[in-house]
Amino acid sequence: MANEIYTITLAVNSDDYQLEVEAQWTLADVLREKLGLTGTKTMCNEGGCGACTVLIDQKPVLSCLTLALECEGKNILTIEGMADPATGELHPIQTAFVEHSGMQCGVCTPGMILTAKALLNDNPNPTEAEVREALAGNICRCGNYKRIVECVLAAAEMMRGGNWNA
Amino acid sequence: MAGGVDLISLMKDGVVEPKALVNLKTIQDLTYIREDAEGLKIGALTSIDEIENARVIKDKYTMIAEAAHSVASPQVRNMATIGGNLCQEVRCWYYRRSPVTGTSFYCLRKGGKHCYAIAGRNEYHAIFRTGKCFAVCPSDLAPALIALEAKVKVARLDGERVVPLERFYTPLGNILEPDEIITEILVPAQPPDSKQKYLKFRLRKSIDFAISSVAASIIAESGRITKARIVLGGVAPTPYRAIRAEEVLKGQMITASVVEASAKAAVKEAKPLSLNAYKVPITEALVKRAIVG
Repeated sequence: MANEIYTITLAVNSDDYQLEVEAQWTLADVLREKLGLTGTKTMCNEGGCGACTVLIDQKPVLSCLTLALECEGKNILTIEGMADPATGELHPIQTAFVEHSGMQCGVCTPGMILTAKALLNDNPNPTEAEVREALAGNICRCGNYKRIVECVLAAAEMMRGGNWNA
Repeated sequence: MAGGVDLISLMKDGVVEPKALVNLKTIQDLTYIREDAEGLKIGALTSIDEIENARVIKDKYTMIAEAAHSVASPQVRNMATIGGNLCQEVRCWYYRRSPVTGTSFYCLRKGGKHCYAIAGRNEYHAIFRTGKCFAVCPSDLAPALIALEAKVKVARLDGERVVPLERFYTPLGNILEPDEIITEILVPAQPPDSKQKYLKFRLRKSIDFAISSVAASIIAESGRITKARIVLGGVAPTPYRAIRAEEVLKGQMITASVVEASAKAAVKEAKPLSLNAYKVPITEALVKRAIVG
């Protein structure tokens, strides 16, 4: 199986990329090594930390345990696709993380933000408990959970109040 | 490969080295949750997330929803399937020890002669000696489904068989032949007055595997228990049916002393290893709470 090369098309952040991948490459490998999208972090590399979370068809999944080959025909969103591509304006969740000190070392941040995006798509007005529940699979080794939860609640408020369409 | 969560980890660690993978997700129509007069039918490719959120499961098969919700993290529940949850390998650190991170152990489960947990670090290992391997079955759904008398449909190219989930597990794995897959999980309809509870103890509530878990299904007529099934997870190489605990309950009203006696009976045969005796009182307490509901 190893070293067999397949040509696939991946839709990442609304752009199509034609790529040659090996069967055993994970989506995280391909995003980071082939596409240079190093915003997606790999920490534990075994499904226990959530740092590599991306959205596939709007659902948070672990890119370190997803084979790139399986992602053809699906919409992949990474942290690089969160800001407005035309203006560079940050997504409200990103803005909230900046304004409310959501990151310390920053390694868990992309995964936190993407998981939060999926939550707020489904539930624009979550309770604190619902935010904690949604972020249960994202580990912050700095222990910044309290502020991270505040950021998501602040972002939810911003998004409910504003005319943000993303 | 279905969700791939377990298999890709095992491949990364070099524990398994398949020459080829077959993507089961290309099989049509194995993702469904249906209910009819016989009971519940769940397609093997249904995700844990779909199971924990299905209305019919939340309403009538609550223990399955509780067990599904307790699995790993939201991301894993989006990816992992029920078939994979039932077939996942043990998490024993001797079995999983990676050539990438250090020496690997040619343990009993890999065809070797010894279970390294017996003389080694065994705080998360089995407290019931049902075989020579002391790794524990990590599935949350298996104890819940066995307590509800679920069966699995197993298919191969030229036929299929239906097996009670209770008899699916063997001390070193399961009964699947290399050319077989699970296609469906069948749960019999539950009487309207049945009580179900799945409880799980783990170190971090957000993500961990069970240190110990208990699935209890209790049916009573005018307060007297006519049938009880109590299945423990995380404490033996397979889901462990606490038959002694069930026998104590049968024909009784649920009183404090009956509950106490049943929970004691559940762990009567426990023989902990050097570092995991703490799992015995935890299991006993969980049994009590699960019975009371």
